[in-house]
Amino acid sequence: MVAVGDMLVGYATDGGVRKRGASGGLVTAVLAAALEKGLVENVVVMKHINEFEAVPIITDDVEVVLASTGSLHSVPVNLAKYAVGRKVAMPAKPCDAQAVIEQAKRGMIDLDNTYVVGLNCGGSMHPVTTKKMLVEMYDIDPEDVIGEEIEKGKLIFKTKDGNEKGIAIDELEEAGFGRRDSCRYCTIKIPVNADLACGNWGVIGDLAGSATFCQVMNDKGVRLLENAIEAGRIEVQPASEKAIAIREKVNTAMVNLGNTLEGKILTEIPDEARIQYYLDQMANCIDCGACKEVCPVCACGEDSKCTMFHSLVDDYSMSMYHLVRLLHLSDSCIACGQCSDVCPSDIPITILQSRFAIPAQRKREYTPGMNVDETPPFFEVILK
Amino acid sequence: MVEKEWEPKIVAFCCNWCSYGGADTAGMGRFQQPASTRVIRVMCSGRIDPLHVFNAFLEGADAVLVTGCHIGDCHYVNGNEKTEVRYKFLEDMLQQLGLEPERLHLNWISASEGERFAHFIRDVTAKVKELGPSPLKPAGVS
Amino acid sequence: MTEQETNTENTQKEEPRIGVFICECGVNIAGAVDCNAVADYIGTLPNVTTAVVNKYTCSDAGQEEIKHAIKDLNLNRVLVASCTPKTHEPIFRACVEEAGLNQYLFEFVNIREHCSWIHMWEKEDATHKAKELVRMGVARAALLEPLQSNEVPVTNKALVIGAGVTGMQAALDIGDMGFQVYLVEQGPSIGGKMAQLDKTFPTNDCSICILGPKMVEVARNKNIEIMSYSEVTEVDGYVGNFKVKVKHKPRYLNIEDCSGCGLCTEKCPIEVPYTEFNEGIGTRKAIYVPFPQAVPLRALVDKSVCIDCGACIKACERGAIDMEQQETFSELDVGVIVVAAGYDVYNPEPKHEYGFGLYDNVITTMEFERLINASGPTMGKVVRPSDVQPPKRIGFVQCVGSRDKNSNIYCSSFCCMASLKNAQLIKEKYPDTEVYIMYMDMRTPFRMYEEFYNRARDSGIKFIRGKPAEVTETQDKNIIARVEDTLTGEIVNLELDMMVLSVGAVAPESTETVRQILKVSKAADGFMMEAHPKLKPVDTTLDGIFIGGMTQGPKDIPYSISQGSACAARATRFLAQGKAMTEGITAVVDDDICVTCGVCVPMCPFQALSMEDEKLKIISALCKGCGTCMAACPTGALQQSHFKNEQLLAQVKNVFAYGEV
Repeated sequence: MVAVGDMLVGYATDGGVRKRGASGGLVTAVLAAALEKGLVENVVVMKHINEFEAVPIITDDVEVVLASTGSLHSVPVNLAKYAVGRKVAMPAKPCDAQAVIEQAKRGMIDLDNTYVVGLNCGGSMHPVTTKKMLVEMYDIDPEDVIGEEIEKGKLIFKTKDGNEKGIAIDELEEAGFGRRDSCRYCTIKIPVNADLACGNWGVIGDLAGSATFCQVMNDKGVRLLENAIEAGRIEVQPASEKAIAIREKVNTAMVNLGNTLEGKILTEIPDEARIQYYLDQMANCIDCGACKEVCPVCACGEDSKCTMFHSLVDDYSMSMYHLVRLLHLSDSCIACGQCSDVCPSDIPITILQSRFAIPAQRKREYTPGMNVDETPPFFEVILK
Repeated sequence: MVEKEWEPKIVAFCCNWCSYGGADTAGMGRFQQPASTRVIRVMCSGRIDPLHVFNAFLEGADAVLVTGCHIGDCHYVNGNEKTEVRYKFLEDMLQQLGLEPERLHLNWISASEGERFAHFIRDVTAKVKELGPSPLKPAGVS
Repeated sequence: MTEQETNTENTQKEEPRIGVFICECGVNIAGAVDCNAVADYIGTLPNVTTAVVNKYTCSDAGQEEIKHAIKDLNLNRVLVASCTPKTHEPIFRACVEEAGLNQYLFEFVNIREHCSWIHMWEKEDATHKAKELVRMGVARAALLEPLQSNEVPVTNKALVIGAGVTGMQAALDIGDMGFQVYLVEQGPSIGGKMAQLDKTFPTNDCSICILGPKMVEVARNKNIEIMSYSEVTEVDGYVGNFKVKVKHKPRYLNIEDCSGCGLCTEKCPIEVPYTEFNEGIGTRKAIYVPFPQAVPLRALVDKSVCIDCGACIKACERGAIDMEQQETFSELDVGVIVVAAGYDVYNPEPKHEYGFGLYDNVITTMEFERLINASGPTMGKVVRPSDVQPPKRIGFVQCVGSRDKNSNIYCSSFCCMASLKNAQLIKEKYPDTEVYIMYMDMRTPFRMYEEFYNRARDSGIKFIRGKPAEVTETQDKNIIARVEDTLTGEIVNLELDMMVLSVGAVAPESTETVRQILKVSKAADGFMMEAHPKLKPVDTTLDGIFIGGMTQGPKDIPYSISQGSACAARATRFLAQGKAMTEGITAVVDDDICVTCGVCVPMCPFQALSMEDEKLKIISALCKGCGTCMAACPTGALQQSHFKNEQLLAQVKNVFAYGEV
């Protein structure tokens, strides 16, 4: 019997799934079982293209789920919008889970019908940057890569010839490669806002590399695991005190790193220089609207205040579109980084958003996407 | 020819029941004020959308005033409490943006507080005159 | 199609044709603003068909000019630039309606209070500003849309909450006009605080003697249903259609069977040392009739001290007692609500002000009223609490709990007259008594009040203009009040046998519940707030709900009765018409843009918004048109008619201009 709060270690019973999975295939097996036993109608999974690329798909085929890729660091896409209007089970980085909850707050997702299997995340990378990095820093042909993992602060790539090479992440990031900006200053590494929080931190001893640590966060998490156990797809055992402690230690180290890097990335700007800084940053915007399209927290349709009251004809010094987005997201931006990823003018939109969102959220002691019952502060009816 | 001294242009959003009334009372009491301010009437300060404030600045306002009833006196029960919530976001944002804080004000003024309204206008106008034109003002707008 | 409907259709299709009328208001505006220059400039703007100057636009002539212009020039928008809309907006709206134009196609620009009167000696600046203000108005006028108010039917019954003298007056007036009234009173009898008073100023009529007949009138009025010992617990709906839930507290006897004979009280073995009616002085039984003139004259049981001995059941010749009685509920449908829920006497005990609660011989006015009352606990003998002896020296302290930064800053308005009256009564009953009144100011404004004051001064009462800085007690329980007479500059240690604190009125805690149920605003002094302190003293901002008497602030009996009648008159307007108009300015939603995120729903204090069938539902009868919901709406689908984002932004845009104005 599984209970809320349980700290477990488990793996897929199917040897192939267990081997192919990043660490034990538990998540894949749980998602497959959810579909099999009718807990959900569809599952969101990542379809493998190559070691650097995968695309999200929605499937009702158990075999497709079982064949899906394990976790890849080079896939930064946010999956929340795939759950809108559907009854799905999905894997979720902490930022995916945050976005799901924010969409639920806005009536777009019914949490009762959405099963979120959270994945620990140390950060993701851009596939194109990663390939370039392989050539320039690792001296490896991207075609030769058969696997990757992050361990003890190093990004390690395994090649066809059986070798592997690891370089410290800080070294990569100093050189301009490595994780996306927003991932570097992110401090939510374990998805405690999902139904299950899974990952390989805390998997030690014989099971290292072939089992998944799983923390049961709520009743839906219990249902997911029990369902998978009944379906014979997984086996679980309680995690040892040592394992739990190690997981906590890794998390603390990652969170501390995130806090440190926040100071380096969101550099202080002197008061007098601010307006010019923002004017300069926004100057290249071509009004494509991609950042709004891709934002996983935004619930608005095509027409909303940011678009309807913005017009190039107005010849304003600053973009009304961006001002409205900065305001409307200051309580809810989860710094997932999608907007920076898609901007054709290379405007670091996530960093701009975070400059407003992080102080606004801290001041109000509010973190978006953690609890569906918390009202976003902008919609409070009284000042707290 | 003597160039006329630059005078700030201030947009004031006033709620129909209290602060607009306060502006009226200032007029009835003949409390003289600089001609800097343009009042825009709304039924409740809660109607004031930060969007309108941005617009005012982008169109060329040197300062924007958000005014309404004292807390507890709102004609619509608690509209001004919501204004306060939104205003705090606006204030934080414009501060982050680098706009001088003297350019944005929130003031609760009742319909009977004519003199207070006049003082407020004189005060803000003087401060903003010292600061100069808003950095967000489009070219060609006075 | 009616003329108005045709015009409405036209305005939605046609280009705006705005008529601008700039008022000189004699010299009020023309003295500072060059109206002709403004008219010339405005005439050059797009969509302006005509821009003219009037001497007094609000005059008959001015209004005729507007109506003619609408017809002759085929105007579909009218803008008047003159004084504040707070005064004349309704007049001009009616004027354009008469000419066939929807009243919401009228725009009012204030160039007097907001311009000519505050820039009286800066003519150039004032004229420039007026041009810009009118330009802003023109831009908005071009975007205005016709709106309709809705008519709703009115249930022809009224609810009056509170049966003190104000509530009783309101109920009588409404009942006499032929409408049914539910009169809900939380106490066991109607009458309120006035029933507890001894004499009433300035006539010194015996209070219950003048109130009693009124109470009987209320009981006999066929249209009034008294619900005593009851409380309002829920109110839903809107003007004309209120649904009210009333809780009837158990008396533990059937009021149809009880005759108020008092036999049960005689036989009851339990006597408790407090009485509600006698302000805590004296005793009463566990089963008791509130007071001899109570209406309804029925007993009630205080179960907290009742020992269930059954003596009353045996004594009752009519078998009225029912110890198992439960509270019951009623649901009422009414069209209008009058709140006349009275006040609480200020309690000086928590801070032991002037020694109250510490020294036996410091009492409040209300306690004094019960002492001096012939049917009170001492049969009208004024005696002091410590030794039940008549006091030879009595002092009254004014402004206790009123005009005081530490408690309430307002003036309770009746306490000066109350003390003058009580001081005079002492002098009449016990001529040898030394009577002092320690005061800050004497406020005696109304008919015969100043004369009353003069009589008091002539009767030997000593007035000391100062309040005690320190109050102590002697061994004999006498009171020493150390007070400065600020008129003579002397500091005296006044030794008194008894001191009466002239306490003010505070809003009662029980009405806070009612206030929140009804959503009436609270004024700064804690009482309920009227719609406009000058022009609408008994209306609230909620249509169909009226407040009067102490509920609307401290006042005396004649003022309360006037307000009771005023509430009745204001309320009956709806009952007589049988219909009410709801606000034309309401929230509207564009379903194509709305994503039903639902953040607007909790914003509405009137519960006008809800999500139903995957769409936003707006109950326009409940919507008051405040607009607070739409500032939250992230898409902008939710808009306030007459104050749409486009309209407001047009005003903002037109504050500024490129080039010469």
